[in-house]
Amino acid sequence: MQALAPVELPRYLLTGPLPERQAGDSVDQRPLVAIPNLGNYSIAFTSVAEALGVRAWAATRTTPEAMKLGLEAAPESACLPFKAYLGLFIQAARAGVKYAVMVNSVGTCRLRYYRGLFQQVLDEMGFDMYVFGLGYDGLKPPLVRYFDPRPWPFLKWVGRAAVKMAVVDDIELAAWRTRPLELEPGATSRVMSQCLRELDQSASKRATQSLRADVPRRFAAIPVDPERRPFRVGLVGEVSVLRDRYLNHDLEDLLGRLGVEVRNFFLLGAELGNIFNLGTRNPNSRKRLMEVARPYLGAEVGGHAVESVAHTIRCAEQGWDGVVHVCPSGCMPEVSIRPLLRKISADLDIPVLPLSFDEHTSHVGVTTRLEAFVDVLRDRRRKDCQ
Amino acid sequence: MEGAAGVIPSAEMKDHSCRPDRVTQPTQQGSVAGRAGAGSVIGVPRAIFYYTHPHLWETFLSGLDLPVVVSAPSTEVTVRTAARISEAEHCLPNKLFDAHLHELGPAVDRVLVPRILSTVRGHIACPKLAALPDAARVLLAGQRASVLSLEVDENRRPLLDSLADLGLELGAPPDQARAAAEGAIAAMTAAETRATDAAGESAGQRPVLILGHPYTLGDRYIAGPILGKLKRMNVPLQVMSFSRSTVRESFVKWDTSAKMYHQLLEVSPAGWAGVVQITSFNCGCDSMMIELFRSVARDRGVPYMVVMVDEHTAQGGLETRIEAFVDTTAERLARSPRPAAAGW
Repeated sequence: MQALAPVELPRYLLTGPLPERQAGDSVDQRPLVAIPNLGNYSIAFTSVAEALGVRAWAATRTTPEAMKLGLEAAPESACLPFKAYLGLFIQAARAGVKYAVMVNSVGTCRLRYYRGLFQQVLDEMGFDMYVFGLGYDGLKPPLVRYFDPRPWPFLKWVGRAAVKMAVVDDIELAAWRTRPLELEPGATSRVMSQCLRELDQSASKRATQSLRADVPRRFAAIPVDPERRPFRVGLVGEVSVLRDRYLNHDLEDLLGRLGVEVRNFFLLGAELGNIFNLGTRNPNSRKRLMEVARPYLGAEVGGHAVESVAHTIRCAEQGWDGVVHVCPSGCMPEVSIRPLLRKISADLDIPVLPLSFDEHTSHVGVTTRLEAFVDVLRDRRRKDCQ
Repeated sequence: MEGAAGVIPSAEMKDHSCRPDRVTQPTQQGSVAGRAGAGSVIGVPRAIFYYTHPHLWETFLSGLDLPVVVSAPSTEVTVRTAARISEAEHCLPNKLFDAHLHELGPAVDRVLVPRILSTVRGHIACPKLAALPDAARVLLAGQRASVLSLEVDENRRPLLDSLADLGLELGAPPDQARAAAEGAIAAMTAAETRATDAAGESAGQRPVLILGHPYTLGDRYIAGPILGKLKRMNVPLQVMSFSRSTVRESFVKWDTSAKMYHQLLEVSPAGWAGVVQITSFNCGCDSMMIELFRSVARDRGVPYMVVMVDEHTAQGGLETRIEAFVDTTAERLARSPRPAAAGW
């Protein structure tokens, strides 16, 4: 196995390749664990890794190199996130990372088998990497049992991870609102990148909280045109494509620049609350969403199918301008509800743009379709005004 | 059906044509039919659940004295219709389902589309089947036919009870509903057993095991050309058994995938010439499982080939691949004579 093969750094690679050992240096000896990326939430996941006493190998977006490695190794018809995650793991394994983490054992779709297939492919390629599953098997999942962190630091870091997750949510929400109004294209994305970088580097809870307090001011300082009336569009669909800006071709950015205020319906903080059904009044609990989706969808299909249907209905009822439904090409749950979204679109009079992504998706193709979609929204608004 | 060696349940089924003049009349002039609305014809699309539960639906509805129509077997026309009306990213069986539904839409009053969540206890069905009745409602919107559905979830409720409930919903007296459900399940079990028996007949020569989902192997358009070609080459075939009793608990939770997995684990070079898996493009379950099956077959030392079918599959390409595979199995046979003792 090649050790420490040169690896190009992703844009926000949070933990680089193992540092070169210099005379007299004390090298961080803690093991590295590769974590599948979930957009900017990877920043919070690195804190969870700290809690376990390990270092995270993670990125906030898939790199073209990782994608290439994944495509070469993955079964041809596996879904896009599988290929992206596998590429990240191979990249990590080539750099000497020995462990990786993947959710498993839950759900009805292909995600359930990701871990096993990752392990098989990595073994067949001759890498010495173990992929931990995050199944529910008692209080301590295998990952925690294996690294066996001391309880107090563990809880402290998990607490920090939760705060970081909330700050990521704040940054995202502020960026979605500001981007369509910005006078200088790209200003919002720059502020966002800076905030995320600082969040990644903030080592104490106090630093994180003061950053959180500063986020609204920073976004407010971006010069905007308050006269603009941005279109409001909901983003629904499969999580990794919703969240990984490489896989979705910077969808939020593209829409923002076209004058659209997006609302990505996957916010991790809220999502965890939905999964564990925290808060009795949570309007996004699985049960509530199922009630909303019921007229069109009679069962939980799996993945985020219920969420996609329910949020599309809600967007229509709340007078949003449109919905963009994204998923990896051939996604089992999301593709099976596409006909329902078409019906909702017709019944409730809301434009729904279905976008599927695979490794052959062209950036120009996505841009063209989004531009056409925004033209439709503009046309509808003009007709409404007449 | 050509080449299926009579082992696929659907092959020997009564041909209920979709044309209204071929409607199968209830055996008795039913009081139920009267209650459910005179002349209320129920259509069953010849797709997906028609193959996962062979004989079940027609037997059950006939047992309630309701007129049943099954759509005609898939043809080139069905595939063309599917390409026109169905979701582009569906798997081929799902597209064909849409086309069969489309065909039944103007011809019947109601179309039976069960919501299949699990067909084997402890397992789950392909998630795409969970939204099938909802998608069917969308497809049939504005047409004469409405959707009649029931939930098939062996983890929550045995099939017998779910069917009996549907019988009551259709206005049958409790006794008749239960009898019809029992009769239907008996017919389904008999069909599955018959398939297994027929499959066991190829004694003497080592057979090739055919793996696939029931709706892939059962559909004439998808599997017919492949099975026909193997048959013409005089290759003894054994189509996998879909009998519910073959499944054990394992990490493979999709029901038919689990059936395939457990049968593959039993395969040895002594008893089998090879394994051919027939799959359709964009089948989510198979896209993950094929790698697992490939590694199992490799460990067992049995040649394994996957044939993927979509609406563009050309016959020429299929023939070449199948011939090459059969050559491989023959060559292996010549190189390593069959061991005296079975097992590995």
